[in-house]
Amino acid sequence: MSIRLGGVAIFVIAALYTYYGKDYSAPFGDVLGPAVFPMIVGIPLMVLSGSLIVFPSGEVTWPARNHLLRQLAALAVLVGYALFLVPLGFPIATFALIALLGMVLGGAPVKALILGASMSLGLWVLFDQILGLPLAFLGSLFGDF
Amino acid sequence: METLSLLAGGFAVAFTPLNLTLLFAGCFFGTLIGALPGLGPVNGIAVLIPLTFAFGFDPASSLILLSAVYFGTMFGGRISSILLNIPGDEPAIMTTLDGYPMARAGRAADALAISGVASFVGATIAVIGLSLFAPLLARAAIHFGPADYFALYILAFATIGGISGIDPRKTLISALLGLMIATIGIDPISGIPRFTGNNYHVYDGIEPIVALVGLFAISEILFLLEKTVKERTKAIHVESWLPSWKAIWMTRWAMLRGSFVGFVAGVLPGAGASLGSVMSYTAEKQKSNRDGTFGKGDPRGVAAPEAGNNSASGGALIPMLSLGVPGSGTTAVMLAMLISLNVQPGPLLFERQPELVWGLVASLYMANVALLILNLPMIGIFTRLMAVPTWALMPIVAAVSFVGVFSISNSTFDLELMVAFGVAGYILRKMDINLVPLVLGLLLGGDMERNLRRAMSISDGDWSILIASPISITLYILTAGFLALSIYLMRRENIREKALSE
Repeated sequence: MSIRLGGVAIFVIAALYTYYGKDYSAPFGDVLGPAVFPMIVGIPLMVLSGSLIVFPSGEVTWPARNHLLRQLAALAVLVGYALFLVPLGFPIATFALIALLGMVLGGAPVKALILGASMSLGLWVLFDQILGLPLAFLGSLFGDF
Repeated sequence: METLSLLAGGFAVAFTPLNLTLLFAGCFFGTLIGALPGLGPVNGIAVLIPLTFAFGFDPASSLILLSAVYFGTMFGGRISSILLNIPGDEPAIMTTLDGYPMARAGRAADALAISGVASFVGATIAVIGLSLFAPLLARAAIHFGPADYFALYILAFATIGGISGIDPRKTLISALLGLMIATIGIDPISGIPRFTGNNYHVYDGIEPIVALVGLFAISEILFLLEKTVKERTKAIHVESWLPSWKAIWMTRWAMLRGSFVGFVAGVLPGAGASLGSVMSYTAEKQKSNRDGTFGKGDPRGVAAPEAGNNSASGGALIPMLSLGVPGSGTTAVMLAMLISLNVQPGPLLFERQPELVWGLVASLYMANVALLILNLPMIGIFTRLMAVPTWALMPIVAAVSFVGVFSISNSTFDLELMVAFGVAGYILRKMDINLVPLVLGLLLGGDMERNLRRAMSISDGDWSILIASPISITLYILTAGFLALSIYLMRRENIREKALSE
């Protein structure tokens, strides 16, 4: 069933892609134009994903509920990092990332916090001070950017 | 002779203080990445690429660093295979078969030394092969026209999945998805934006490195969370790291045979290091398993697959450098870095930037020696570092990935995109869709379209130009033959499974 659903999702993406791609045209330039290659990609993709809906192969076993929750928690941490890196600055955001992700992965909370604190400062010193990548110490929330 | 003088020039490139430092650092971190279970060569290199990119090393130095890491991972994978019975990376699976039994029988030092020397022999033979054959292949490929390149890319997509018994439709779907992503952004020929949704972040296209790190590193974290993290088995305690030299000498023929088989497997498209080690082990077992000692700790069963996987990983660099078409996941990731550095591998690379190619080859010779030096006496340090638990390792990997990706563009949009690619990669991998063809499509898509359009310009819109040259016809026949073979193998697998379940 999951394979069929995946096939449907890919089919829909391929169909939208083909639909939007078919009208691209350039007033001058090369013979083929910008629309043909997307057709060469989109149409076979529709055919293949369609065949996967009709004749699925293989099976998917999704993780149990509590594992699914842990995956969602990890995703929330990762997305949160992307959103809060600039406002909070590198060390604070990275501390939260490492500590929270460590806990989600089953580390003891105290150990994960210690790891987060030491690694976030360590990485900042390594990348910003030693290797010269500009990483803001304090984020835009604290007026330093 | 010409090769020798070019190679001498290459050693001059590699022998700068910066490049030597990068070489040793790469070897060290590569061995570590290889030895840590859960952090395979593809993931490890994918995470390191944005960093090399961010430091602004020139292409030759970046390539030296990453090749050292690449060879290092192949050396390192065996350590956890032998001491933990967990392969550090995929190609090291075969090494567990005889390596772990040897270690349990108290011969861990021998097993580690044999596999280290075998890795060295395999990798060195592969690099010699690379110096000899890559220029020849590049010279042959110089006659390829745009239509032939188009055919070559189609062959690459059909074969990258390998003969794995996995549904070939899924390989093609993966490749097409990659090509689809490659068309996002401003069309370089006509200058109009395609599939951008008016989002200015994607006008330059999707940065392959962002996609790569997401697809491999982030999806790996999601995979880890599927299972309850178990306490790892304790590594076998080793009293003395001193091996018996006689035991190493006894396996010399197994090493040479394994290197040869592995090299051939590596050069073939879609095979790579994993298949190289499987084939070398199987071949050696057929040759030497007279007393039924294989699988119970036979030293030749350690030597052959390790020589094979290192030799294959060297051989896999040949099609990547001389044709611009990688044959394995890891070389696809290295191609991503080269393209990001504006280096287009292929036959012209050997003519236009010989110092880069030969600098790389020279550094591979040096990396081998460095790895042998690192791996024999320093094996104790690696085993200690191997004890880092997964809950601590993966968050650090995530943080380093974020730093690397962020430093490319300083845009948090790329970070969000990377996480999105991680989720997509996880779902695709759950559906048994291999991600390597997708990466290949993403990398080669632009070039593939350019070659198609150039060919059509030459013929003024006549499609028959695609099958007008003997080169392209041969390539299409190879593609068809390969697809037929993999469909046949899948059928046979299905029939066998049905027969088993009945």
